Amino acid sequence: MRRSTAAAIGTLTGAALIVGVRLSVTPQAPIAAPPAVDLVDSTPSASASKKPGAASSAKPPSSKDSSSKDKADEEAQNGLKTGVFKGKGATNPYGTVQVSIKIQDGKITAADATYPTTGNSATINPNAVAKLKQETLRKQSADVAAVSGATYTSQSYQESLQAALDSAKA
Amino acid sequence: MRHVEQVMGTAVSIELADDRPAPELGALVEDVCAWLHEVDARFSTYRQDSEVSRMRRGLLTVADCSDDLRHVLSACADLWRDTDGYFDAYAGGALDPSGYVKGWSVEVASDRLLAAGCANHYINAGGDIRMRGLHPEGGPWRVGIRHPWEADKVSWVLAVSDGAVATSGTYERGDHVLNPRTGQPARGLRSVTVVGPSLALADAYATAALAMGEPGLNWLAKLSTDGYESAVVTDDGRAFSSANLPAAV
Repeated sequence: MRRSTAAAIGTLTGAALIVGVRLSVTPQAPIAAPPAVDLVDSTPSASASKKPGAASSAKPPSSKDSSSKDKADEEAQNGLKTGVFKGKGATNPYGTVQVSIKIQDGKITAADATYPTTGNSATINPNAVAKLKQETLRKQSADVAAVSGATYTSQSYQESLQAALDSAKA
Repeated sequence: MRHVEQVMGTAVSIELADDRPAPELGALVEDVCAWLHEVDARFSTYRQDSEVSRMRRGLLTVADCSDDLRHVLSACADLWRDTDGYFDAYAGGALDPSGYVKGWSVEVASDRLLAAGCANHYINAGGDIRMRGLHPEGGPWRVGIRHPWEADKVSWVLAVSDGAVATSGTYERGDHVLNPRTGQPARGLRSVTVVGPSLALADAYATAALAMGEPGLNWLAKLSTDGYESAVVTDDGRAFSSANLPAAV
């Protein structure tokens, strides 16, 4: 039974890593999700695709839920014990991600992950990301060795500044 | 020594700045050109007998293909992930890794020049440049970024010694970059330039940002942490650059 729970958590750790990486390219996503141990969201199956934003609705840790008195009787045939289980923290380049799942009647009814709020996670904090700065579009004839531009064809090369440079130095 | 080679559907300008006998430099230029023609023959989607075309027709599997093609496919898969799907070698339906192959082949050519003792050179493949070392007159290479409306003007001048400058834009070949999410031509950005260590990646990043449209501005800003700086001009003529763009003084 431990095995199946561990396997489920392992799978979810992978899913959480994907969510964690996606976070790095989703400026709107909240970074500081509270430690999600017990999850109120209850879906019929594992909702690994749950949006990071929904994590903010997760309740703080509560021992009550994982130790309901008839817990022992609820161990379903597939060996998944009712309760809330935390995965081992997995460290990726952005910090440590920890997943948790809730099991009820032998089914995973909720899954979530905590995201890093310190250390390397600064790189995924949208507020810490430098924006490109706006400036005036300049138009200059400068002394350059080469010109970068949208890929020209062999024909349009003939009219390019690079062609002029090439023929001047040839 | 300077040379211009017509290959891969574009013009490739090569300058070798090392002070070596002309025959030696000439032989190095020949090696570079031979490699670029080999890449064209093996990876072009316009040639029916290329490895890529044979893979498209199902005549070549990943298990049987060359190490080079396997590298290209793997790099395209990594880029698909790293660009949130906006760099997509399958954007047009069938496999077309051209957006990676050109930059990669120039990167390889530059590596080979360095290995042959030519530490000062640049290769400009149709507007995407890999350079190393110093300009013949000393100092870093000065690279202009073409003004997106006036072909004979530049909008930025960069000073780069070792690195790559790649630009993707809509002003040369029209709407050739598709937004893979919509299947429609990319809109919003007219010119995206990425400067960084690898031409293969800089080129792919520039193409991906162009496909993203204006949201690409924020995406590009995040590349700074990996050493890739950027300069962008929007369709309506606004200009943006990242803080550490190596602008020449």
